[in-house]
Amino acid sequence: MTSKERIEAVIKLEPYDRVPVAPLVDVMFPSRHKGMTVAHGISRWREGFQAILDVYDEVSGWDAMILPGYSLPLTLTVAAGVMVSLGSGRYRFPGQDPAVSVDSQPQYEERELLTIEDYDEIIKLGWSGFAEKNRERFTPFAPEAIISWTERQTAHYIKEKETWEGRGIPSLCGAIIESPLMFFSTKRSLISFTMDLHRIPDKVQAAMDAVVDEFIAEAIGATRLTGIPGVMLILERGGGFYYPLKIFERFEFPYMKKMVEAFAAKGLLTVLHFDQDWTINLPYLRELPKKMCICELDSTTDIFKAKKILKNHMCVMGDVPASLSSIGTPEEMEGYCRKLIDIVGKGTGFILSSGCTVPADAKFENFKTMIYTAKNYLPAR
Amino acid sequence: MSELASALADLDEDRVKTLVREKVDAGVDPMSIVDECRRGMDIVGERYKKREYFLSELIISGEIFKEAMAVVEPMLKAGKQAEPISRMVLGTAKGDIHNIGKDIVATLLKAAGFEIYDLGIDVAPGKFVEKLTETGAPILGMSGLLTPSFGAMKETVEAVEAAGVRDKVKIIIGGGIVTEQVKKYVGADAFTDDAAEGVEICRRFATEAR
Repeated sequence: MTSKERIEAVIKLEPYDRVPVAPLVDVMFPSRHKGMTVAHGISRWREGFQAILDVYDEVSGWDAMILPGYSLPLTLTVAAGVMVSLGSGRYRFPGQDPAVSVDSQPQYEERELLTIEDYDEIIKLGWSGFAEKNRERFTPFAPEAIISWTERQTAHYIKEKETWEGRGIPSLCGAIIESPLMFFSTKRSLISFTMDLHRIPDKVQAAMDAVVDEFIAEAIGATRLTGIPGVMLILERGGGFYYPLKIFERFEFPYMKKMVEAFAAKGLLTVLHFDQDWTINLPYLRELPKKMCICELDSTTDIFKAKKILKNHMCVMGDVPASLSSIGTPEEMEGYCRKLIDIVGKGTGFILSSGCTVPADAKFENFKTMIYTAKNYLPAR
Repeated sequence: MSELASALADLDEDRVKTLVREKVDAGVDPMSIVDECRRGMDIVGERYKKREYFLSELIISGEIFKEAMAVVEPMLKAGKQAEPISRMVLGTAKGDIHNIGKDIVATLLKAAGFEIYDLGIDVAPGKFVEKLTETGAPILGMSGLLTPSFGAMKETVEAVEAAGVRDKVKIIIGGGIVTEQVKKYVGADAFTDDAAEGVEICRRFATEAR
C-alpha cells in the first residue's frame, strides 16, 4: 500500500498492510534538531518548513501530515484574522517575549481576553459582527492588512500541502477550528468561564448558539481554499477532566455533533483533537458520523478504552506521551509503540502518532524509533 | 453539618455570601466561620473523590471560598490567627510560564489550611531553595506543562540537595503531562495531574513532617 492508500483505508476502517504513522510535528522539534532555535524556526517560514522536511527524510518518511506545516488555513476575512489575533493574545512567543526562552515552544498565559459583557454583544452581532466591530481591541492592523495576512498564511499552507503531495504524503486537515466551548473557555480563561457556566449558563449557551454556524462556515470555507477535505476540531476544555457530563451534554457535545455533521455533509473528515482526559466522554462519540472522524488522543485519555468503544465506528490516533519522547529511551519508546500496535492497531482503525505535538525537546532517537516501529513491527495477526 | 458548610459544599454562592455576612455582622468568631467553610471544602473534596464532582466544582468552590475569606480576613487580621496545618513553597518551574494548574492548587491548599508561599511562574531553582531556607517550609510543589520543565524541576531538586535540606523537604510535582517516569527523572517524592489528589498528598506530607 502507498501512504495515501493506507491512510484512506484506516479512516474507512478497512484492512491495512501495517499501522500507519503520522506524528503531529510542527516546526519546534525539527528546528532544534537542525541546530536552530525554536524562535528562529518559527519566524523564518522557509527554514522552519525545510527543517520539517529534513526530519522527514532523515527517518525515511512517515505516512501523513495531520497539519502540513505551521501556517494557518483561513478564509480571507477580517473575522478569521481577528479570531487568530484574539487567540494569539494568550500566547507568549519565543523570540518575541523575554519571558519565553528562544528554545521554548509558544506558551500561554491564562487570562481574560473577552469580558463578561462581550457575551451580550456576541449574542447580538454574531462572531463576524462582533469581530469587525471590536477589531481594534484585538489587533493593530487595518482590515486590508488583516486580509493580506490571511492570504499569505493560506498560500503558505497550500504550498506546504503541495510539497507533501509531491512526496506522496496526504495532509489530513485543511481547516482548524475550536468548538464554541473551547473558544469561550480559552478567551474568558478557565476559572472565569467555569464561573460563567455556574452563574449565567443561559447566556453562555446563547453566545455559543450565536457563533457555531459561523465557526462551521469558517472551517468549510478554509477547506475549500486549501483543497484538503478535513477539519481539525480543537477540543480540550469540555471533557471529563474538567466538567461533569451534564455540562458536556449541554455545552459541548451538541455543538461538536452539529459541527462534525455539517462537515461530514460536505464530505469532510473531522480530526477530533482531544487534549486532556476525555475517557468518560468516549461513548458519545459513537453518535458522530461513522468513518468520518479520527479520535486523536494525547495520552491522558485511555486509548485502549477508546479502541474498545469506538471500534467499527471511527479511527483512533495517538498517543505517544510527550514525556516518553523527551526523557524516555528508544527501548521504552519501542515497547510502548509495539503495545499500541498490538492492541489498538489490531485489525484496522489506528494511526500511531505523538500525543499532541511532538515536544520541542524530543530526543531524535526516540522520534525515529516511533516511526521505525510503525513501519517495521508487524505483529502476527 | 452547619448550614454554611452545606451551602459551600452545594456550591450555593449566594447563600454562602449571605450566611458569612450575617455571621460577621453578628460578631461570630471569624475562625469558626473559616472552619465551617473548610468543612464545606472537605465535603467538596469527598464528592470529588467519589466522582460526583469534577475539576469544575473544585474551581467553583475555591472561588466561593475566596469570596468568603475576603469578608472574613480583615477580622482575622485584627484578631487571633489560626496556625496553618503546614507551610509550602509553590511555583511553576523555570522556563515555564503556565499558571492555571498552580493557581487552582494554591487556592485549594489555602482552603485546606496550608500557608502557601507562591513564587509565581518561571521560578529559578535558586529562588525555590532561597524560599525553602528562609521559611523552613517542609513541602515544595513545582508545576509545569511543558517537557522542558522536567529538566528545570530536576535542577531544582538537585539544588535542594546541594543546599543540604533535601531530607527536610518533601517534593511534589504536578501538571498535565507528568508521570511516574517524570517523577523518577526529577527525583521528586510524588507527582499528580489531579488538583484534589495534590492536596491529599500534601496533607500526608504535612502529617509526616510533624
